[in-house]
Amino acid sequence: MTMKTLDACKLLDTHRGDAIVVCTMGAMNALDKLPVNPLAMACVPLMGGAASIGLGLALAWPERKVFVFDGDASLLMELGGLVSIAHAKPKNLFHFVFNNSIQFAGLGNLDTPGARRADMVAMASACGFDSSQRITNLEDLEARLPSVLNGPAPSFVELVVEYDNPSLGIENPAVEMTDERFSRMGDEIRRIRRHLGCDAEIRS
Amino acid sequence: MSAPEKESPMKQFSKYSVPAQAMIDAFKRCGIEYVTTVPDMVQIALHQILDGGESGLRVVHCTTEDQAIEVAGGLYAGGKKVAVIVQNQGFYAGINSLRALGLDSKVPLFFVIGQFGREFSNLGSDPRDSKRRVVFLLEPLLETLGVPSWRLEGPDDLPNIEAAWQASRDRSGPTALIVGHFVGW
Repeated sequence: MTMKTLDACKLLDTHRGDAIVVCTMGAMNALDKLPVNPLAMACVPLMGGAASIGLGLALAWPERKVFVFDGDASLLMELGGLVSIAHAKPKNLFHFVFNNSIQFAGLGNLDTPGARRADMVAMASACGFDSSQRITNLEDLEARLPSVLNGPAPSFVELVVEYDNPSLGIENPAVEMTDERFSRMGDEIRRIRRHLGCDAEIRS
Repeated sequence: MSAPEKESPMKQFSKYSVPAQAMIDAFKRCGIEYVTTVPDMVQIALHQILDGGESGLRVVHCTTEDQAIEVAGGLYAGGKKVAVIVQNQGFYAGINSLRALGLDSKVPLFFVIGQFGREFSNLGSDPRDSKRRVVFLLEPLLETLGVPSWRLEGPDDLPNIEAAWQASRDRSGPTALIVGHFVGW
C-alpha cells in the first residue's frame, strides 16, 4: 500500500497553518491542483535547490514553520544539503521527500540512481537531522503528521509515493517549456516577500 | 649593529591585501546581515573573523556553492540581506543556481569571489593576463553571464564593495566583487 503525491499534498496542506512552502518536481505539480497559497513558491527550473532555499527561509523566519516538498532525484542532486541543514539546525524546517524512485515521472519514468536501495532516512539521520522517518501510506501519514509537526526539527520525512505512467512517446513526442516556467520562481519569491512585509528592503 | 631586517617576499605583496575588518565594516554599511559560503582560500582572514561570531554577521556554511546561492535566495525571499562568499572555482560550480535565482528570477545576489590560484607576478596587472585559466576566465565569464563585477585589488578599491552591493539592489540581479589577493589579517 502506497500513496498518491496529490493525496499527500492535500493532507499536508490542511496542516500547514501559516507555514511557508517550498516545492519542486512532482509535489509542485500536485500543489498546482490545489488552491493558491501566497506563502508557497516553486523551485523551478532548479532541480536540487528546494531544500537549500527552504533553509534560507527557515533561518529568516525562525518563528514560522517552513515545509520543503522535495523529490528523491532532486534530493540526490544536492545530497550534501542535508549536512548544511543539520549544521544550521533550523528548528522550524520540515523536509518532506516524495520518493517515487523515478525521474521524469509521468513523462519518461527513468529509474533514479539508488532507487529502492539508497536509504534516505538513514542518511538524514546520519547527517544530524533531529528527526528522520519513512511513511509509506496515507493513513499512516495522517496519523503521524501531528507528532511530526510538533516534534523535533530539522525533521526529515520520506514519503513513499506512486507514479503515473509515462506520457511521452511516439504519439506524444515532445513537451515545450512555457516562458512562465522560467519566471515563476522569481514571481513567487516576490509574492512571499510581499506577504511577509519584506518589500521595504527593495526600495532601500 | 645588526643588519636591517629584510621584508619577507610574501609581505611585499601585502599592499594588494584589503584588511578583513575593513571588508566587514563595508558589509555592515551595506546592511548585510547574513553570509552564505563555501570558504575561499584567499579570504581565510575574513572567514576567521566571521566564524569567530563577533562580527554581527550570521554565517551559513554550505557544502557546495549551489547551496550557498540557494540559501541566499531563501534568505532574500524572507527579507534578509546576504553576501555569498565563494572562490572562483566554486563560482564556476554554482552557475546553474546563479542562472535560476539571479538571472531568471531576478534575485539581487551579491557575490564576493576570491581569485584562488592567482600567481603573485600578476598582482598589480590585469587578472585577464594571468597565466592561470582559473583566474583569467572569471571576468569574461561574468560578462558572458551578464553579471557586472568590481575588482578589489587593494585598499583603494574598498568603495567597490558598496558599489557592487548597491548595483545588485538597483538591477535586481547578481553582481560580483572580485577579491584579487589574500585578504589582510
